[in-house]
Amino acid sequence: MDRRTFIKLTAVSTTATLGGCSVPGQQFIRFIPEEELKPGLAEWKPSVCPLCSAGCGLTVKVMQADVEVVKDGQHGVVTRGVAKKLEGHPAHPVSQGGLCARGQAAIQVTYHPDRLVQPLIRRGNRASGTLEPTTWDQAITELVAKLDALAGNGHQAALTILAGGRPTLRRALFDQFAAKFGAAPTVVHEVFSDDLLRYANGKSFGAAQLPTYDLGNAGFVLGFGADFLGTWNAPVAHAAAYGRMRRGRPGKRGYFVQVEGRMTQTGAVADQWVPVQPGTEGVLALGIAHVLLRDGLRPATTGRAGALIDGWASGLPEYAPEQVAAITGAKAERIVKLAHDFAGRGPAVAIVGGTPLAHTNGLFTALAVNALNELSGVVGRSGGVLFTPQLALPVAARGSLAQLVASPPQLLIVDGANPVFSAPVAMKVRDALDRIPYIVSFTNFLDETSALADLVLPDHTFLETIAEALPESGSSSAVISIAGPVMTPLFETRGAADVLIDVAGKLKSPLDLPWGSYQEMARASLAPLGDEAWTTAQKQSGWWGELPAAATTRPTAAEPKPRPVRYAAPTFSGDVGDFPYHFLPYASAALLDGSLAHLPWLQEMPDPLTSAMWSSWVEINPKTAAQLGVALGDVVEVTSTAGTLRVPAFINPAMAPDIIAMPVGQGHHSYTRYASGRGQNPLEILAPVAHPETGTLAWAATRVKVARVSDPDGRLIMFSALGELRENPLEGETR
Amino acid sequence: MRAITLFVCVVTAAAMTAGCSWLDDRPRPVVGASYTASGQSTDQWMSTARPTFGAAVNDYFWVKSTPIQPIEFPHVTHVEKGLTCTDYCHETVTKGPRAGLPSVNTCLICHIAIATDRPRIQQITAMQEKGIDLAWQRVFGYPETAHVRFNHAAHIRNNVECATCHGDIAHQTVAQRNVDLHMGFCVNCHREKNAPNDCLTCHY
Repeated sequence: MDRRTFIKLTAVSTTATLGGCSVPGQQFIRFIPEEELKPGLAEWKPSVCPLCSAGCGLTVKVMQADVEVVKDGQHGVVTRGVAKKLEGHPAHPVSQGGLCARGQAAIQVTYHPDRLVQPLIRRGNRASGTLEPTTWDQAITELVAKLDALAGNGHQAALTILAGGRPTLRRALFDQFAAKFGAAPTVVHEVFSDDLLRYANGKSFGAAQLPTYDLGNAGFVLGFGADFLGTWNAPVAHAAAYGRMRRGRPGKRGYFVQVEGRMTQTGAVADQWVPVQPGTEGVLALGIAHVLLRDGLRPATTGRAGALIDGWASGLPEYAPEQVAAITGAKAERIVKLAHDFAGRGPAVAIVGGTPLAHTNGLFTALAVNALNELSGVVGRSGGVLFTPQLALPVAARGSLAQLVASPPQLLIVDGANPVFSAPVAMKVRDALDRIPYIVSFTNFLDETSALADLVLPDHTFLETIAEALPESGSSSAVISIAGPVMTPLFETRGAADVLIDVAGKLKSPLDLPWGSYQEMARASLAPLGDEAWTTAQKQSGWWGELPAAATTRPTAAEPKPRPVRYAAPTFSGDVGDFPYHFLPYASAALLDGSLAHLPWLQEMPDPLTSAMWSSWVEINPKTAAQLGVALGDVVEVTSTAGTLRVPAFINPAMAPDIIAMPVGQGHHSYTRYASGRGQNPLEILAPVAHPETGTLAWAATRVKVARVSDPDGRLIMFSALGELRENPLEGETR
Repeated sequence: MRAITLFVCVVTAAAMTAGCSWLDDRPRPVVGASYTASGQSTDQWMSTARPTFGAAVNDYFWVKSTPIQPIEFPHVTHVEKGLTCTDYCHETVTKGPRAGLPSVNTCLICHIAIATDRPRIQQITAMQEKGIDLAWQRVFGYPETAHVRFNHAAHIRNNVECATCHGDIAHQTVAQRNVDLHMGFCVNCHREKNAPNDCLTCHY
């Protein structure tokens, strides 16, 4: 073929191909829109962030978009208003216009490519069977039949509901369902649960809830391990208040000291960082109280929090600075100086949460810090510890995950909990679920627990239904975060609460739930707050203000003869000789307890202290690393009494040499394309140590040994250049 | 030689028939997706800049397909009856970035009573009964890769006539792309009117 023919033929074939195919690309059926929309103009609608328990108010940018739908068996597109961007609601008392990076990524929940779009039902058994699409009618018939079978045999108590940790009206609805059906107590599972602190606050202050810290008016803040600016409690509320404490009052800058073994994101901004031996934080608190009393810096108190501490009335003789120094590892002079600063800088508040309470002596630590706050005179005062008034809801009994594992029910309904991933593997939750004949899961994604379910019911996302939360803290006034749906559901999903109400009515002996829908239930819950409450809430992402006395929870009375606690050294799983290091799993700044690992924006977000992303790592102090011959990125083997993990190492100077820390969040086996098979889960080697008093998981009570395995294997992905950091670990970060 | 020519022709013919579905960039709805144990949908979602290879080639050569409208809307008839562009059909042109296209419901505000005997009107009435809207195709506009944003309202506020950019649509039946909206066209007008000429005015 000559050149000319070749060019001719090429031209002919290209033109033919392009010409023949230019048209069909734009032919599709368009349905008439159901809503009035202004093209190109955004509308901002209120909503509530669903990602953690804080319950921040959102404002959602809603604009028109073409949505693919199927109507009467016909595929086509329809123009609808859809959510495009989330911001903090400026009027909301918890978020105060702010929104954390995690909240910003919440938009990805709705548009996730692996979102469940229709009900799934298991064909065959769990080992070899598959989950296959089914219709809602079939799914609901199946669930009703299973519940009827239990009720027919009089085995109502063989139903258990397993729920996630967020306090919501939806959970109250599930509780009502369980109570009316006669189910076993609902199990609420969270790996980083604050139940121990709630229990301690109930004993010390009569309010069994998380406290709200009035940081904006505080002069001195003493943090005990709580990552309150990063992942703990209500970080957005804390950050706003912290900003006011530091820079909001001309001429007065609040002082902040953080006590912890491994520097958290919060500890990184402190004026002083005080490392202490893990599990001795409460001793330091009482050491400070001792100096305050000894030097007459604060008048002695006789309140209920102090009465719970052994030796309080006699000035805590066992907690003199030298003794405290011997236990905690902090210098005696430093303790005296801290106590004097604590007393001399205006309202001084101590914050405890997270790791210190995850030791076996966590209750002592919590009660000790509570007593210190009482001595500081800041409980219920400006600049101190407040308790956000709570809307009174019917009290429901709670079971524990350990009980569920010990005696698995016949039927399990899972709503927003994923214990197969987020409980220590040694608790054998997976085995227990295998022994449950039927599992139903309300979820948006096929996570590890839902993957074991026999019936998967896809839920609306928070943007497609009523979004609500009952913030436990973060505001001085009562808050109920609630807002209506901001967009029409994209897929064949149904709101879990509405499905449950539907099922309750279809049972052979229907349950007498007083509402026809979730929306009616939400409205009824707000009814005690006045006629305007619902309309007000719809406009501004929630209701806040003063609760009528009848609608408020009452404080519990003090124990008549409290049994005072004293320090007992924490106990650990693993002998010091064999397992020389403390193992400290912590909530990842991006992925929290792993429930957000499916959102690619958060996978991509560099960790604030290590710059690592899309991966897992263990943090090792440089001295320890030198002894073990480990450099940045090297693969190490971490072994506990419960198992072994192979993880890349990160050399972190901001931690004690006897601690090995590792973020929780990665290591999912089944949680969408972005999280599955990525990184390791520290909970796999966590020993299932429980607090003696509350039975909650003591997640810092495991010891480990570490050994170097190999050179970097490429699994540690960092925002900074790995090679440079390996050459010079401390210089590389300042690049 | 003849064999090679024949081969190319056969390939071309194959590309025109089978290749069309391959080049087809219509959005495909997800129905009956099944799920694997790892929680991943088995459907693959394209997320490259352009949906198909064909679309990329077209974009590269600035080939725009000629829009085919669902009905031949006679602009001229409506303008002659005294309707202005912004009355019902393109009413958000004064309010926001986009002019807006009328849904079949808008047509039937008037045509529920007017000219109901015409076949085209009967056609759209039937569409509305079935719940199907007019799938208007875009006549003007930029590919996403041009990174241009245009705000109609700002231009209307500054008394730019619709005809400046859209040509004499008032005397056309179906809208035709008879003004070439390249960057020089925009920049010249912005210069003449002393409008901002910063890159970020349009490219943001």
